[in-house]
Amino acid sequence: MISVSLFFYFGIFLAIVGSIATAWGPGVSDPVVRTFNTEIAAIGVCLVLLCYNHVLALLTLLATTVIITLILFRAIIRLEEMGADV
Amino acid sequence: MFVPQAFISMYLPAVYAGLIVGFIGTMAIAINRRELHILILTDIVGLAMIFVVSAVGTDLAEALILPGLVVELAETLAISEILITREMRKIEQDPRANLTKSSSIFPQAFSLDMEIMTTAPNFIALVLIGYGIFLTGFTGGAVAGGGIVLYALSKKARGLPVLMLDGIAGVSGISWCLWIIGFLLFFVTPQYWLLSLFLAACGLLLKVASKVGLIGLLMREDIDNE
Repeated sequence: MISVSLFFYFGIFLAIVGSIATAWGPGVSDPVVRTFNTEIAAIGVCLVLLCYNHVLALLTLLATTVIITLILFRAIIRLEEMGADV
Repeated sequence: MFVPQAFISMYLPAVYAGLIVGFIGTMAIAINRRELHILILTDIVGLAMIFVVSAVGTDLAEALILPGLVVELAETLAISEILITREMRKIEQDPRANLTKSSSIFPQAFSLDMEIMTTAPNFIALVLIGYGIFLTGFTGGAVAGGGIVLYALSKKARGLPVLMLDGIAGVSGISWCLWIIGFLLFFVTPQYWLLSLFLAACGLLLKVASKVGLIGLLMREDIDNE
């Protein structure tokens, strides 16, 4: 029997580590790396929502995370092509 | 009780974790100077918001998380557009600038001649849209919208013309009308609660599914530039 609180605390741990990695992690001067690091924190939040049985919230979080990543990548690619200081 | 006994000890740590994550995110925003990085870090603050809201517990948490996520999505979309437009204007004013042609999120057309590449996305999109209409409400809208996005993206990745999403903005207005009529009927004639519930659910389905129109507009803009 796997305990639910294990997933819960692992989710909290992933969220905090992911947010620290996004803020001050290695190589975050590159916006692509920073965008990928936000995914780690998002997975942590997903685990916490899974432990709370919030199915609708979990599905919406997954969908919006994917769309936000697409939007951010589009912005990064556009700005880099225009030669902006990103 | 409203909350199962096993979950009682799980809510306070989530509040503290949300506060820690929000503190990290806002500190990083305060330190950073570049706008695009601040936009990415706003995502982290949004995750902290989800933590705190999910610790409310019961169904109220789910009801509060959904609009929060959708508003965050719209915010990110609007701010990224503003950043791109401002940078474009800056370059246009500079006489030495060379404005190259912009590309899309798929730099190259993906031409692979296999039967499954043409038939499978259509079928999966059809199943997703049908299941979304069956679900109705917010979830159904999200599932049906996912089907439409999958269809459009798979066509775009193969270099084919994407479906036009011109009239989508009108559908959004109709869905608001359905939602408001449902809400009004709920208070004026409570005995027709099932009718008003379905009016509101179908309105939300159209509303959420038509948010895909934003993504469709972005892709059309990308195609015109090529």
